[in-house]
Amino acid sequence: MPDTRLRRSAGVLLAAFFALPLAVLVVRAFADSWRAPALVPQHFGLRGIREAFSGIALDAFANSLVVAVIVTAIAVAVGWPAARVLGERRLRRPGAVFVVLAMPLLVPSYATGNGLTEWLLRLNLADSITGLVLAHLVLVLPYVIVVLLSAFGPRVTVLEDMARSLGLTPLQRWRWVTLPAVAPTLAAATFLGFLVSWSEYGSSLAVGGGRELLPVILLPFVRSDPQIASALALLFLAPAIAALGLAARAARSPL
Amino acid sequence: MDTRHPALAAPTTPGPAAAVVGRDAARARVRRQRRRDRVALAPALAIVVTVFGGALLGALHASVTPLSATASAGATLDSWRALFADPAFLDSIAFTVKLAVVTTLAATGCALAVALMLRSRGTALRALASLPVPVPHLLVAVTAVLWLAPGGLADRILGGLPLELVRDRYGIGIVLVYVYKETPFLVLLLLAAMGRGLAEREEAAAVLGASPAQRLRWVVWPTVRGPLVIGAIVVCAFVLGAFEVPLTVGPNYPLTLAEYASQATQNDVLTGESLAAAALLFTAVIAIALAVIAVRFAKDPQGA
Repeated sequence: MPDTRLRRSAGVLLAAFFALPLAVLVVRAFADSWRAPALVPQHFGLRGIREAFSGIALDAFANSLVVAVIVTAIAVAVGWPAARVLGERRLRRPGAVFVVLAMPLLVPSYATGNGLTEWLLRLNLADSITGLVLAHLVLVLPYVIVVLLSAFGPRVTVLEDMARSLGLTPLQRWRWVTLPAVAPTLAAATFLGFLVSWSEYGSSLAVGGGRELLPVILLPFVRSDPQIASALALLFLAPAIAALGLAARAARSPL
Repeated sequence: MDTRHPALAAPTTPGPAAAVVGRDAARARVRRQRRRDRVALAPALAIVVTVFGGALLGALHASVTPLSATASAGATLDSWRALFADPAFLDSIAFTVKLAVVTTLAATGCALAVALMLRSRGTALRALASLPVPVPHLLVAVTAVLWLAPGGLADRILGGLPLELVRDRYGIGIVLVYVYKETPFLVLLLLAAMGRGLAEREEAAAVLGASPAQRLRWVVWPTVRGPLVIGAIVVCAFVLGAFEVPLTVGPNYPLTLAEYASQATQNDVLTGESLAAAALLFTAVIAIALAVIAVRFAKDPQGA
């Protein structure tokens, strides 16, 4: 069937369009020397990888990971009840709540970070993980709530009512009914929350003066040393892919 | 009485005497539920209002109290005045707004085309198209430098590029990176909006003799306009405020507003912070104004 062939070639083209550019990162990270006209590197080597796994970069990686995990955990814990109220349409005028939640997404994150620094300096929280967590949290929370609210609604309420009439305790209901029912959306919200924090540049630069996150130390290398930049980019991509895998697994829900 | 509230739909009324009791009980239940709803929303709203509101106040405070001013002088509008007297800042406004508008229009156009193409296709192709969504912006920018910079791979393969794409003064590189990154995000929103109902409605319109162009205008467009405008606002606001992409693939002049602010803090320790805060607050005002315009546009004049 010509249609299948067309479809397949469109798929291959699309895949190439996204995969090829990123594949070059791998080649560049392992190319110790790759001078101008050559299409293939002259020398392969581990210089970039060694630099990417050196002290500063690994510290930044750890900082990024700690901040992203803490921020995502808080955002899901705080966002869950809010998403439930909004998702079940229990508010008479939800507009105001959405406007409040949307504001941090409209204002440049660098501005938020910059303004926050004023306070963090006074509270002695400058250059601390707490400061970074606060700065990221206002950006992550709206995304988590907006994604998570689509999981709640009559579908979940009906299941919970059935469980109640069968005599399940609140904890059992949550564990065996609510959680499995919202698992795919919860996974998506968690994944998105992690990514927003992990990729955040503006507020990380403004707040984390002495405690640098991975994107902040990566950027200067783009001009000065593309090999190290590529190696750091691979390091930067790894948890995003791992989180995608985890989210995809968690999304397979029995209910 | 608010009939939309689920707790009010529940009570049954067996007799006239019980009806009064039942109504009171129902009201009490609604009140309890409302209180519980407020408690559930409170932590999230408190975090956003305190941290974000505090940040805005902090920026406002910084913008009117430059470190160069003596403590006794109090608030001054010097930074704001200096900002609007700086031709580089005015260039920066024009450049940033142009980038945001062009990027948003290009990405929404591409997304609409791709979504229309993909909606009848299988899930594998859809998954492929959404691949760039989890890739950080900075990574796409790094990749763009490797491919498109002078001496980059595209240059080597083609033996020369017809025009400068990275760090060019028109910001073409910035637009390309953003379009590559934001189109799949908008496609996801559009495909979600184009659920099953749309195909049926289109078929009905076709049976009634609507041409493809008419179906696009009167069936598809009203369905996707809402999500598309929301997505466009998010994209536009991001382009206005983010600066890892322009820093990587943008020109040295003009700068985007966020770059301008960041450079101000590096140029002058005394007045820089204050100037940066003012520039960033002004960017925030532009972003909110554009969002309000977009929301106006999203409202259907026919009320559909």
